[in-house]
Amino acid sequence: MTEAETAVKAEAWAEKFRQATESDPVIQCYAKYYTCDFLLDMEDLRVGVQIRDGQMHKIEINSAPLEPHHFSLHAPAETWRKMSEKRPKPFFHGFWAASVREDLRIEGDITVLMQNLRNFTA
Amino acid sequence: MAKISPVIGRYVTIEVDDLEYRVFWLENGEGPPLVCHHTAATHNHQWRHLLEDEDFTSRHHIIAYDMARHGKSDPPQNAEWWKEDYRLTADHFVNFVTAFCDALELDQPTFIGSSFSGCVALHLALRCPERFGVIIALQAAEYAPGWWLDWWRHPHTNAAQVCSSGVWDMMAPMSPDNERWLPMWYHMQDAEVLKGGLHFYSMDHDLRGRLNEIDTGKCPLVMMTGSYDFLTPPAVTKATADQVAGCDYVEMEQLGHFPMSENYPLFKPYLNKALELIANKRA
Repeated sequence: MTEAETAVKAEAWAEKFRQATESDPVIQCYAKYYTCDFLLDMEDLRVGVQIRDGQMHKIEINSAPLEPHHFSLHAPAETWRKMSEKRPKPFFHGFWAASVREDLRIEGDITVLMQNLRNFTA
Repeated sequence: MAKISPVIGRYVTIEVDDLEYRVFWLENGEGPPLVCHHTAATHNHQWRHLLEDEDFTSRHHIIAYDMARHGKSDPPQNAEWWKEDYRLTADHFVNFVTAFCDALELDQPTFIGSSFSGCVALHLALRCPERFGVIIALQAAEYAPGWWLDWWRHPHTNAAQVCSSGVWDMMAPMSPDNERWLPMWYHMQDAEVLKGGLHFYSMDHDLRGRLNEIDTGKCPLVMMTGSYDFLTPPAVTKATADQVAGCDYVEMEQLGHFPMSENYPLFKPYLNKALELIANKRA
């Protein structure tokens, strides 16, 4: 895949992620105060996400190295692919499972993650 | 016409290590007693399907109680519990289970526990096998460190949501949403007690090096774990079961940490299998 094709695909994914977050009824019924900035490090891609009261404030593909965020999730691209399968195999079925039993790492201010855990998990 | 369940609830007052508890239980069915214990920070509604399953209630007296400080079982009545940092120990847990069974005059009951009560099931098998007819330990391991965390009761977070969201990944993704959200709900309700219960689970419970002392000739033991359970994965339970001579191990496919609650139709055949394994051995 060319760089341009990758960029187009990534932007399309970002838009899907925005729509999924803003239309998810589980998130939206508790949207107020779901506010945090996080980084999803997918090895080939770094996605910076800023959420404000359950709405996508900003989503940036290939977020700059020093772009601030509260917490981050890091995993090889292959792990993210396994986690996004329709019927993921055991321990690729959620970020907690993958962090405890596979190679996903959670870093940063865990307090902020815990404060937003319900909606982040949804 | 109203749908009234045949399940009834009652209270019994018991004394455990000089503490007086008023214990609530649900029951239904006729036959040899099958005593069911819930997971930490939940309550006997985890057994709601088994309590109303005529396939089991026609041949077992199903009893599902709330551990002290869970559900409708209050903290001790004769202690200023609000001045203490609750930390469950193996001794107290074992004494609670046996005191409850004694109070109801249960003769050689089958005990089925899950997670922290799956781990106490191993202590029962070790310490008082003659008291029970069969022990089934779900989601259990000889040792389960690392979960006695301040996050379960942190003043800067919504502990109810942390406790409940933390268990989402413990369940299988194919378990139905309406069933998966109920363990979440139960954890929201009983979040305050989670850290205290996990003191037993991660700090006081350690049977490494002692599993060979469990005599399954006195009381048969079956261990079962769901394949999606990241807290107690199948490999860990199997490694525990392999150290107990005569213990049967079963991996429950497509189930997680709350098999009886998150997807009862899938759990039911495994429960039948556990009981059959025991029956075949006895025959």
